[in-house]
Amino acid sequence: MRPEHWWFTAPLRVRSLFRRARVEDEMDEELQFHLEHKIEEGVSRGLSPEEARAAALRAMGGLEQRKEEIRDTRRVHWLTDFVDDVRYAARSLRRTPGLTAFIVLTIALGVGMTATPLSMLDALIFRPYPVPHPGSVVTLVSTSRDNAFDSFSYPEYRDIRDHVRSYDGVVAHSGLMPVGFSPRAVEIPRIRGALLVSGNFFRSLDVEPRIGRGFRDDEDRVPGRDAVVVLGADFWKSEFGGDSSVVGRTIRLNGRDFTVIGVAPEGFTSLYIFDRPDVFVPLAMSGAFTTNPKKSFFSDRDDRELVVRGRLRRDARLGDARSELESIAKDFAREYPSTNRGRGATVRTMLEMRTQPGDANWKFAVIFTTLAFVVLLVACTNAAGLLLSRARARTREIAVRLAIGAGRFRLIRLLLTESLVLALLGGACGVAIGYAGIALLQRLSIPAEIPIRIPFRMDERVLLASFFFSVLSAVFCGLAPALQGTRMDLVNGLKAADVEEPGSRRFRGRNALVAAQVAMSLMLLAASFVMYRGFHHSLSEGLDFARDAKDHVLLARFDPRLAQYDADKTRRFYRQLVERIREKPGVRSAALCLNPPLGLDGWDLVTFVPENFDMPRDREVLDSRMDAIDGDYFRTMGIPIVRGRDFRGSDDEGAPRVAIVNEHFARHYWPNAEAVGRRIRLGGRAGDPVEIVGVAQDIHYGDTFGGRTDFVYMPVAQHPVSRLVLMVRADGDPLQLLEPVQEVVRSLDPNMPMLRTMSYAELYRYSVVVGPGIAIKLVGTLGAVALLLAIAGLYGLVAYNVSRRTREIGIRMAIGARPRDVLRLVMGKGLTLVAIGTLFGLAMGFAVERFMNSMLFSMAGTDVTVYLVVVPAMLLVTMLATWIPARRATRIPPTLALRCE
Amino acid sequence: MSKPADLVQGTLDLLLLKILALEPLHGWAISLRLRSLSSDVLQVSEGSLYPALHKLEQEGWIKAEWKQTENNRRAKFYSLTRLGRRQLETEAANWQRLSAAISYLVQLSEA
Repeated sequence: MRPEHWWFTAPLRVRSLFRRARVEDEMDEELQFHLEHKIEEGVSRGLSPEEARAAALRAMGGLEQRKEEIRDTRRVHWLTDFVDDVRYAARSLRRTPGLTAFIVLTIALGVGMTATPLSMLDALIFRPYPVPHPGSVVTLVSTSRDNAFDSFSYPEYRDIRDHVRSYDGVVAHSGLMPVGFSPRAVEIPRIRGALLVSGNFFRSLDVEPRIGRGFRDDEDRVPGRDAVVVLGADFWKSEFGGDSSVVGRTIRLNGRDFTVIGVAPEGFTSLYIFDRPDVFVPLAMSGAFTTNPKKSFFSDRDDRELVVRGRLRRDARLGDARSELESIAKDFAREYPSTNRGRGATVRTMLEMRTQPGDANWKFAVIFTTLAFVVLLVACTNAAGLLLSRARARTREIAVRLAIGAGRFRLIRLLLTESLVLALLGGACGVAIGYAGIALLQRLSIPAEIPIRIPFRMDERVLLASFFFSVLSAVFCGLAPALQGTRMDLVNGLKAADVEEPGSRRFRGRNALVAAQVAMSLMLLAASFVMYRGFHHSLSEGLDFARDAKDHVLLARFDPRLAQYDADKTRRFYRQLVERIREKPGVRSAALCLNPPLGLDGWDLVTFVPENFDMPRDREVLDSRMDAIDGDYFRTMGIPIVRGRDFRGSDDEGAPRVAIVNEHFARHYWPNAEAVGRRIRLGGRAGDPVEIVGVAQDIHYGDTFGGRTDFVYMPVAQHPVSRLVLMVRADGDPLQLLEPVQEVVRSLDPNMPMLRTMSYAELYRYSVVVGPGIAIKLVGTLGAVALLLAIAGLYGLVAYNVSRRTREIGIRMAIGARPRDVLRLVMGKGLTLVAIGTLFGLAMGFAVERFMNSMLFSMAGTDVTVYLVVVPAMLLVTMLATWIPARRATRIPPTLALRCE
Repeated sequence: MSKPADLVQGTLDLLLLKILALEPLHGWAISLRLRSLSSDVLQVSEGSLYPALHKLEQEGWIKAEWKQTENNRRAKFYSLTRLGRRQLETEAANWQRLSAAISYLVQLSEA
């Protein structure tokens, strides 16, 4: 319609809506005016006033009908009718408060159960990047046979940036890195999260700094020259109290002075949903952040640590961008065969990046959401069943309305409005339940070094989704009762309050609903058991060491670079540290490692070629997780060496390189021979040879869903690193060693920060107890709620049947039926439904088990024990749900039953 | 909305627009005008007059104002809007096309 049209009509609509009484009065006055003139005309023609009045009304053809016609022209009656319907619905629902509360609660549970997983799903998959026009931001990834989402090295990034044409800008950033921060030189540094970004990062992502400015391209040209930093908004507030004079000030990062040039805008965290960088630093300053002094970030083409993002040009197509990048990757492979042979590249969208096959988080969210929707379905089914019986109890009311001329469509609308009111009330309560679930997730405190952001929250997106699903469930559970309720034989409908014969078609609908509920809740129960068993299985192996270590081991992380140590000084520091701590009373042993088992910082990888091993034809090198360790590592952690020997002090820099592998590794590469004494070559066929001197027991290294993996240990002396974790095994409570350890550190260097000190129990609790516990709790809640709903549905159905057949039962008992017969009669139907539901539920359970196993747990097959637990439990509970109302039926005194109605 | 059976669909709208194009009138006056102008050939039931007027108002073709009549009574006067004038032109044109076509058909000799 033309805007000019609206100019004239919009005020009229608003007036019709909000000045309804006034508009009505004016209509009356106008018609009255006409009638009066008409009457006058009649009188002047010689009629008596009464006759004239009657004639005038006749000429009008029914005043009230005309008024209705006029009201219909206002084009807002759909809305005013709706308001009337809502009022009416509220009144009629208030008359049956118990039933209303029950339906509202049912829907609240259903909607509430979906809110938590939706917030997870949103955060992990759908929430757009916190930048303007997030849709055009894509990720450029390097691909190899093993990794379809690999990063790029700095030289590769530079070449790509200079050669691509499909983008308005191509930026690169690192992962979140720990950095030692101190506002002034004299203060002991604290650990914060830093993001290394290319000079065009803020500009190309259209992120306008809140104050100050972003980086310039020339601040990212010369390695180590421009020590400038942009602060994260939250960090700026917590550390500098939101003081805008911070721009231009100097802060210290990893012992270097950096000038603050700006503050990132609020809400801009990074492109990773879990990260919240405290500071942004140009890539050219990466010298202050490298962990491995041997690597050269600016020239090594295979030091792939950068995530590369591009902002697609408006006229560029994704396909073109892909083929462009692929051809660049081909050039790389031709020009730099030693680092890029067999390597490709492609462009990934946000969705592709967030649903990488190797990531278990989003898969859990998907499974969790699916299950939650089944609960919502169960809830809706339940509500539909209740509304069906309600509609039947209102047969007479509906029949009267139809008889006096209400349109069927109008009545359906009225009934749907009722279910909408119910669903929206339920949805509102559901949001409250969802809040509780999300609060549970937010309570997770992850004992990582840099605080990890829990991105799950109840925001407007989740609220909108909850609202949407409430409306949807209103339609779902209201439509069938509304359609059925308004299709009736009027004569019968007017005669009796409840005209349906059991076994009629209508009744089958409700039976199917109950059977479906039983089936779906059985499936959900099975799913929560599968989840429980999966975690149990993955946590049952390789954790003996941790159960012992959690009560005895103290962890403290160090990074001597924060105190400006060079490699020699670092080595000396660590040696003295371990030696002195060993001498303290109460210390049984002490060790150093990169990352403790069950740690959260991710493992370093080592690439190698085993000697005398038939490499798979398509592989140049293999890789494995690794740890660099020192001191009494295996004794401190309680991991037995099963064959060969432990590292010795003589395995130092000058000595031949050695490694210890885990049992899985040994079996993997030398299934029929002894691994001890074999050699692997680092990095490739021509790399340094490393002799395997021992085999350590397999342990659980820390991924919740992971199975067994290869693992390699190397001595720190031969694999120098700067950031290490000190692990001290105590005779008793490890926290009692905190003071002595701090004393040792202070005596070595009073400026050396201890980054994160905790007992091993903290890691253990998070990885083994709390994390899986929350997952089990969430899925278990779904199962429990579904079961509860199914029980309620079943109970409701049988109880309703009993109340409808009171008279029949009375007659039966009066003519000699025993209570047992009545019980059988009433329970029979319920139990048949349970049986049918159980069969379907079993089939669905098998399917969902297979789905979960393939997605989360690398297991196959069906676990019968799950069903041995779930099915009998289900049967028992449902039996009880039919038995209680059935027993009540047997207690009906025949006289009372016969008098009923 | 019920239409008088003896009026071609949409004709009432056209008549009302035309009458109001001459001068603003209230409902009663419109009904009198309808009767006299069409010399009782076109029977418009008084009942369908008001729904039709309200429909035109809601379409934005005519607008209503409460004013005093000559004998000092309050009445709702309708007048044409800019949109209504345009609508009248189209409808009048349509009508002429239609009536020309029909009279041509009617006059065809049945040879």
